[in-house]
Amino acid sequence: MRVGSSMLVRQNLTRKLGRSILLVICIGIAFFVFGVLSSFRAGFEGSEANSERLVIASKIGGNETLPLRYFQQLGSMSEIAAITHVTRLRAHTAGNPRNIIGANAVDAESYARVYADTYDFNENIMQAFKADRTATLVGRQLAEREGWSVGDRVNLTSFVHMTQEGSPDWSFVVAGLLDGAEPTVDTNFLIVRYDYFNAALLRNQDRVNLFGVKPTVGMDINVLAENIDMTFANSTAQTRTQSETAFMSAFLEQFADVALIVKLIVSVAFGTILLIVANTMIFAIRERTLEIGVLKVLGFSGSRIMRIILTETLVLFTAGLALGFALTAAVIPSLANALSSVVPDLYLTQRVIATSVGLAVVFALLTGFLPAIKALRLPVATALNHR
Amino acid sequence: MSITKNTIELRGVSKSYPLGKSKVPIFDELTMTIEDGDFVAIMGPSGSGKSTILNLIGGIDTIDSGAISVGGTVLGRLNEGALTRWRSNNVGFVFQFYNLMPMLSAAENVELPLLLTSLSRSERKKRVETILEIVGLTERAGHLPSELSGGQQQRVGIARAVAADPQILLCDEPTGDLDRKSANEILELLQLLNTKLNKTIIMVTHDESSTAYAKRTLFLDKGRFIQKELIKCA
Repeated sequence: MRVGSSMLVRQNLTRKLGRSILLVICIGIAFFVFGVLSSFRAGFEGSEANSERLVIASKIGGNETLPLRYFQQLGSMSEIAAITHVTRLRAHTAGNPRNIIGANAVDAESYARVYADTYDFNENIMQAFKADRTATLVGRQLAEREGWSVGDRVNLTSFVHMTQEGSPDWSFVVAGLLDGAEPTVDTNFLIVRYDYFNAALLRNQDRVNLFGVKPTVGMDINVLAENIDMTFANSTAQTRTQSETAFMSAFLEQFADVALIVKLIVSVAFGTILLIVANTMIFAIRERTLEIGVLKVLGFSGSRIMRIILTETLVLFTAGLALGFALTAAVIPSLANALSSVVPDLYLTQRVIATSVGLAVVFALLTGFLPAIKALRLPVATALNHR
Repeated sequence: MSITKNTIELRGVSKSYPLGKSKVPIFDELTMTIEDGDFVAIMGPSGSGKSTILNLIGGIDTIDSGAISVGGTVLGRLNEGALTRWRSNNVGFVFQFYNLMPMLSAAENVELPLLLTSLSRSERKKRVETILEIVGLTERAGHLPSELSGGQQQRVGIARAVAADPQILLCDEPTGDLDRKSANEILELLQLLNTKLNKTIIMVTHDESSTAYAKRTLFLDKGRFIQKELIKCA
């Protein structure tokens, strides 16, 4: 569209300014709902979940354990570049059962290898972690939340794991603070040394919750997952291997199908908005029937008028999108703060932004298309008789 | 009668409008010729087909049979796009109720047809200023239509019609909504465009006194010209 036609777009949008503003607010609210819910979903699943890595858990369920000896067996597979194991402490801070802490017992060396591209395992913290069997590396977000610093003692009470003394209480010393490789990576957790944890356990020794696997470059992860599960198909502890992303989704679905809930709410919101905007645009075009006729008399082609109408809806959706982003950006920090223990990784992701932009363009074209087609097909003589 | 560059010819034109399942005939085998630079007033009772003639010559309505040609271009042979381009290059419309864009200023309304030309923004601005000066509205360039009197709005309408410099002006009751004084000013302006710039003007009117400004007047009744060239100005 030529620059000059922008004055027609401006005319049409400002003719009933109140209506245009309400439409923008309407669209803005839809994108606000989408932005918050999608960010919530992404945060719930953990944005650091990596579809290139695999997670091996018990086929029976997430609470079951696998034998530690699989670690050696899996490590010898040529398709696996690096492997580690993780055991959940399932603990809360001592004296406060509501303050649940994400705490995992891990093998320091292998854990750092598998998650090297997600967390900053620098030499200093690795040395400090290895130097003390009771050491813990605390994620920076968790440390800030709990007010912990290096040298502090962290006392946790496990819901399931007892020490050999028969106590659920575990004590660790903060050896370092763990940062994400990117500022957006969730660090609301801590890791402790598995060798210490395993040796101190009253029962269930040499068992782990899951293995993290980094496949060799170019390896088809679906094939590898199948191979791994086949390897243990006839054992007493069968495995279920999934990508990290799929694992996180499956884990969450134990509580609720967050994805489905988000999709339903967003679909309803957008469906409603789509109907409102399309209906309003049809009425707006009907109001302008005579003017469209005059434009055609002046020599404006149907396709040019169609482009003007589509530009109007694009402008409306762009303004609505901007409003939606502004609202989302304003609300997410306080939401993230309030929900930090449930959704530790809540922020407006680039993926959500990109999806919103795509949706805005698609909906703008969809809602503008019907009135635009009507305008395109409108006979000039008929339009001129319209008052 | 010589055929000049922009002669308008209607040959055996028939036109009817559907009314339910039947058709109401407007013209039957209508033939007329309007020379380049002519100023023709068309009078007739309501429903006689006066406005329809303008719509047909301007290519915004279609005929059932016959042919309309302007300067040798047969309108019926042009597709929608070509007809739109032809109209923007050759025809300017002036409406009874002005039909200005309500949210655009007088200058922006005049600029509208120029958006379809290859003129740059500065060239468009200069052209608009010149035309508004011709119609005596330089001081009102930034005003919205609602801030102008009926006569001023019609001047803007005429300025818009001639902005792209078309040879033919089709005026559908241009003074129908104006008081006598404003009507005379508009008619003088049209006469000026005809005599000084040699624009071909076809004006539909109910007002017999308006015909004094035209070079000739045609009376239309029941789809036929019943008495041609009743008034012919010197």
